[in-house]
Amino acid sequence: MNTWKEQLADQIPADMGNLIDTFEAQIELRKQGKLDEKVFAEQRLRKGAYGQRYDNGQRHDGVRTRELSYPSGELVKGPDTLWDAPGMQRIKIPYGGLTAEQLEVLSELADEYADGILHITTRQDIQLHYVHIDDTPDLMRRLAAVDITTQEACGNSVRNITACTLAGVCHDEVFDVSPYADAMMRFLLDHDDVQDFGRKFKVAFSGCAGHACGLVKMHDLGLLAQTREIDGEIKRGFTVFVGGGLGTVPQQAKVLADFATEEQLLPLAQAVSRVFARLGEKKNRNRARIKFLVSKLGIDEFRREVQEELKTVPQDDRHTAYLDTLGDFGYKPAKAGMALNGTPLPDGFSDWYRTNVYHQAQSGYSTITLNTPLGDFTAMQGFQLAEIARRYVGDNIRLSVEQNIVLRWVADADLPAIYRELREIGLSDAGAGTIVDITACPGTDTCKLGIASSRGLTAELRTRLIERINLLPDAVRELKIKVSGCFNSCGQHHVADIGFFGNSRRSGNHKMPHFQVVLGGQWQENAGSYGLAVGAVPAKHIPEVLEALTNRYVAERAEEEVFQTWVKNLGRKEIKAMLQPYMKLPSFDDKPEFFSDWGDSRVYTIDDIGVGECAGEVVSLFSLEIARAESAHFEALLALDDGNYPMVDQQAYKAMVLAARALVRTKYLDVGDDYGNIVNEFRSRFYDTELVYDRFAKGKFARYLFKRHDQPPTQVGEDYAHQLIDETQLFIENIHSAEQRINGVIVS
Amino acid sequence: MTIVPNRLGVKFNLKREPAIAAADIVPIFQRWIQEHTVDGMLIDVIDYKHVPEGPGVILIADEGDYAYDFGDGQVGLHYIRKRNLPGLLSDALLMAFRLALGAALCLEDEAPGDIEFDFSSAKISFLDRRRYRNDLSLFTALQDELSAILADIYGCEIALERAYDDPRLSFALRVAAQTDSVDGHKLLARLSERPVGVQ
Repeated sequence: MNTWKEQLADQIPADMGNLIDTFEAQIELRKQGKLDEKVFAEQRLRKGAYGQRYDNGQRHDGVRTRELSYPSGELVKGPDTLWDAPGMQRIKIPYGGLTAEQLEVLSELADEYADGILHITTRQDIQLHYVHIDDTPDLMRRLAAVDITTQEACGNSVRNITACTLAGVCHDEVFDVSPYADAMMRFLLDHDDVQDFGRKFKVAFSGCAGHACGLVKMHDLGLLAQTREIDGEIKRGFTVFVGGGLGTVPQQAKVLADFATEEQLLPLAQAVSRVFARLGEKKNRNRARIKFLVSKLGIDEFRREVQEELKTVPQDDRHTAYLDTLGDFGYKPAKAGMALNGTPLPDGFSDWYRTNVYHQAQSGYSTITLNTPLGDFTAMQGFQLAEIARRYVGDNIRLSVEQNIVLRWVADADLPAIYRELREIGLSDAGAGTIVDITACPGTDTCKLGIASSRGLTAELRTRLIERINLLPDAVRELKIKVSGCFNSCGQHHVADIGFFGNSRRSGNHKMPHFQVVLGGQWQENAGSYGLAVGAVPAKHIPEVLEALTNRYVAERAEEEVFQTWVKNLGRKEIKAMLQPYMKLPSFDDKPEFFSDWGDSRVYTIDDIGVGECAGEVVSLFSLEIARAESAHFEALLALDDGNYPMVDQQAYKAMVLAARALVRTKYLDVGDDYGNIVNEFRSRFYDTELVYDRFAKGKFARYLFKRHDQPPTQVGEDYAHQLIDETQLFIENIHSAEQRINGVIVS
Repeated sequence: MTIVPNRLGVKFNLKREPAIAAADIVPIFQRWIQEHTVDGMLIDVIDYKHVPEGPGVILIADEGDYAYDFGDGQVGLHYIRKRNLPGLLSDALLMAFRLALGAALCLEDEAPGDIEFDFSSAKISFLDRRRYRNDLSLFTALQDELSAILADIYGCEIALERAYDDPRLSFALRVAAQTDSVDGHKLLARLSERPVGVQ
């Protein structure tokens, strides 16, 4: 029976296939102990294969900490990350855009490799949980066959590029940013200039300044659509923001450029990436995001650096090639637009219509939001939804940063029918974008860094709010709640009206789960301002705190006063006084239930917190690139075992070129991918200068590469293959030694 | 000889909707971890009860997961074997049946008279689309072999049908023992006597 690799060979783009093959080879190398655990961890993270809670083999069961004795024993897939421990697979969905076929494949994977659930993240990704590392290469191949990648979904790289879900159908947008987000994603994916970051790099596009959708001001790089008249012609472009971010130290982005034309967009992103790679912090991961570099240099100096860097960016046709195909980035609705007529409306339709339906700029069409509880839906719902999408909207599916599914281009006349069908599959909850539509990160459910149960609290609040949603005043219904399991802000608590993030406090000899209350953040104006932390409250008191806050807001607010203003006017001191009664810590004997988290019956502990992988591993660019060479060498060995000698030649040669490239790139980042250029640069920089010379063998090992490059074999037999494999091994060792002599320590 | 799928699921449905809430299953599964009530290296409990017709509450284990499951609109105990499946399909089915049955009986003990399973039928899922495409021809090809294995497991005649016609869904079967009732304890006792070869 064919493997997935064989079955899908014709459907997987060659570059994607190579990356997955390399990763599969690295898995084998790691199992054999031939690849450093930190290097493998960073490679794994760059494939979106993340660790999960308890993957260090320890779990507190409520009574004691137990060893989890995985069958693979001491084998690790990263520091303190056991091989067999289930992990999370993050899957990039650029700007949240999905086709029906892609949704089906994602659902298949959830069914076969995970726990049957697809989780939508606050970056429009899909995450699958409880995935085994050994299953990931095939999982990635099945995704690649439908043009989805996991490449650089985690690790110190460019993460999923996000954009407004309404892009292209919005009344307020300057223009549709979707094709630009798509072009930037494709351009920066696995690009040489984004391989040497000290931390992750998040990019977002927004079509308008006033609404939230794109949230550009909280991003490392934010692009806000603008037009400007230049030489009498209306030109498209972007206001470019840089250095925003949430996390422990939230920072608003600064304006790097008031207006960059669409032609300047990709070169500018490349230049920013190069400056970040060159000047960004590499050792202290807590200060390695670009916001710290912008703060350190100041925006004016940062801008000067970028402008200087722009002069060195090599000419690249891809910078503007996509502009010729912008017109092709159209949307194909499944049906003609038609007004909602006098069709009888099903029960519940009116509530749903009020909150979940947005009338598009295109007459006769609407965009509908599927209020997806906690961002979760089942594989079965995925299949059913794909079928509904095909019939009503075609491939116009998107995922939102508020963890919902969005269907665009619904003919208005179809709204009652599609509502009925969504109700059949459990995806017709009203209240999208309202107080019941709470955003939450995974928290202690699966995240190694989680301190409190963000999902447990969210589920509880959601249940309570849904019960009385129709009794809530409009001013309360419109509030946004966002919950993070720790201070790292994956739940985006800083930009909610009411945010919570997990922490803990001691009462007697026990720890108690708490949530810090963060009030007055602004979702509008692209995350225009961040909320203020006003005090930590026991997790079990949070529903009462929410009720007290909203009741007082309704009672005391001036007409038309929004929550942010009310909070600001009330003042931190008064709010703190309001929370004070809830901040008292009961004893374990009095209220034992306070010492368990929401949705978790165990006595609470923070002993399970592990080392997060959000920051990736701090591994040098050389280490990452030489690992690719070693993977190719491993592929050559496998080919030798199969007696496929032409493949041995191909992979061994590739391994030598990649090793040479790894060394060249320590001095010359722009060497590119052309084998001839790489060999020439290697020869002039390292061979002619004798930098690569071995103490005894001199330039012998380097000449193995030159020999293969200059005199490709006309026939490849077994003896030749064996010899080439050995020479390649020696060449790679020679490159390692040379790099250590020239540049010092490899893995920092 | 038929190839063993990557993952194999067996689900027993409850006879009727129980009074116990799904939320109350969480502490039960947490305690099962503490007391090692069911087989496997038990890792964690995950709560998906907010998802309609979803996997409900799952007790995650290294070798296979136990779910208090709401799939197909029916509450039941769903065991999915993920790793270390035996090399023979008959052994793999026997193992999955035995573990699902054992867990279901443990769950009955948690709420006697309320949680009550119908062991005379089960859903079997082959979670491996590469080897098991969900189409009628595959069902036809495997029907005799699978019927023989399942009749042997039940110790009586069985009826077998496809659970889903939709080719996108996993290859899944519904098996029904052709007898008045099946005593879960007796069935488990009988299946426990059989040796299973693990890969």
